[in-house]
Amino acid sequence: MKRKSIKVILSLILVFVVSCDEPETVVTNYVHPDGSVTRKIEIKNGKNNFKKSDFQVPLDSTWIVKDSIEINQKGDTTWIKRAVKQFKNVDEINIAYKNDSGANKSYSRNAGFRKRFKWFNSEYRFSERIEKLSAFGYPVKDYLNNEELLFFYSPESLKQEKENGPDSLKYRALSDSVKNKTDKWTIRNFISEWTGEFSRLTEGKAGTDISRESLKAREAELEKIIAENDKKFDSLWANGVILKKFIGETNALRYKSEADSAMKLAENIIINNFKDYSLRIVMPGKLIGTNGFIDSSNTLLWPVKSDYFLNEPYEMWAESKTTNSWAWVVSGLFLAFVLTGVIVRIIKKD
Amino acid sequence: MEKENEKYNKVLNLLRKSTPLLNSTGDIENEVLIRIKKINQSGVNLSEVIDFLFGWVYIGWVRRSLIAAAMALVVIFVYQQGVILKRIEVLSRQTIIINNGNAASSSDEIDKFLTQFRNSGHRFPSMNITISESQMKELQESFKEMQIKYKDLENIIEGDPDLKKLIEKKLIENNRTKINL
Repeated sequence: MKRKSIKVILSLILVFVVSCDEPETVVTNYVHPDGSVTRKIEIKNGKNNFKKSDFQVPLDSTWIVKDSIEINQKGDTTWIKRAVKQFKNVDEINIAYKNDSGANKSYSRNAGFRKRFKWFNSEYRFSERIEKLSAFGYPVKDYLNNEELLFFYSPESLKQEKENGPDSLKYRALSDSVKNKTDKWTIRNFISEWTGEFSRLTEGKAGTDISRESLKAREAELEKIIAENDKKFDSLWANGVILKKFIGETNALRYKSEADSAMKLAENIIINNFKDYSLRIVMPGKLIGTNGFIDSSNTLLWPVKSDYFLNEPYEMWAESKTTNSWAWVVSGLFLAFVLTGVIVRIIKKD
Repeated sequence: MEKENEKYNKVLNLLRKSTPLLNSTGDIENEVLIRIKKINQSGVNLSEVIDFLFGWVYIGWVRRSLIAAAMALVVIFVYQQGVILKRIEVLSRQTIIINNGNAASSSDEIDKFLTQFRNSGHRFPSMNITISESQMKELQESFKEMQIKYKDLENIIEGDPDLKKLIEKKLIENNRTKINL
């Protein structure tokens, strides 16, 4: 079995992130007060070659599709596919996610809608959630501070804008810091995933010295072993040297196949094939809460990347409210009625 | 004739002598007074209307319940508005506006933007320019007019393949920006 070193893994992740061949997709959800959602998808591609299997979000023949082209100042042509579909409720969106046959079909995604009547106002909450991939990793907030977290979750356009803006030095330093820390986080996640999967595969067979708890407690030790042998990781792993150092010679020989299987599973989680896209939400009424960003068309925006839901669910949510005018009128009349009654009583008493 | 007059006088005397027995003269007096009062009154009595509408103020438990309900409404209103204002304030501090984000340029987007502008009480986020409502309406109308003209132009181009080719060629040559066909 061919294995990759940690640096190779990180390089691969980088390659996946910066890959330009993928169609650029923006999904916009127009949420209506009755819970129905008009969903629009805009897919931009450098070639006039749209494959269903490349689509990041569900898109089938039930959508109204319009194709167009854009020619930029350099004369480069971009092919654009715009699709729109009216969903009666979020359940229909969830069914579409469930039956997805696109690029991200193996990822658990769902939408939610909630409407609350609060007499004077009605409040709405719409969310899209992607379930976490890893069962054993660490949340990114353990590695980044609040400022770094904000930068980490920012759309690429905002990152570039900041790195080339007036405080470019500050933001470039911040970007480097985030990169270094997320590299460490990825390696630690990889190790944690491996120890988790390995202990799961050897559960009941091995002694307490390679139980989940004991391996988890020694993750830093394994990280150190890998860092010391980073250049020769492939050969040392294949020969079982790293494994022997970590769990002892007897266990390494006995559980070599489980260790390799765990390595493969960890690789599949860390080097996943999720294709990034952007999600936008337009809420009814006035916006009162969100964890998203606002783009130039005054719409909420979230980048969707696999890093965001590696170890914890990624929920993109927005809350808004509409005013119930009739409730204001009814309440005003009622207050005036009671107040007049009280005044009448006071006058008659006198 | 004299006989008839005599009979008439007799009947009259009999009637005069047989006076009705009045047991409740007080009641008759009251009834007469009420009828006279009614004749003197004109239209609806305001105090009666007030008594009808606000009779509940004299019933202790109804009065207390309605006052409590009114106070509860005021408290709920103040609390809800307070919470919403606080959330909006927090939101305005936490959200980040991306100037060159993924803005789609379809007409629906602009319509949505204008709708949001109207819903937001005609206010833009603090980072943006200030523009009056009339200017915004003017922009909206101009945009709609432009859309109609664009549609007409699109139809003309679509109907003439040679013209379509020529325009595409010219656009590429002149390094002009986008065209949607």
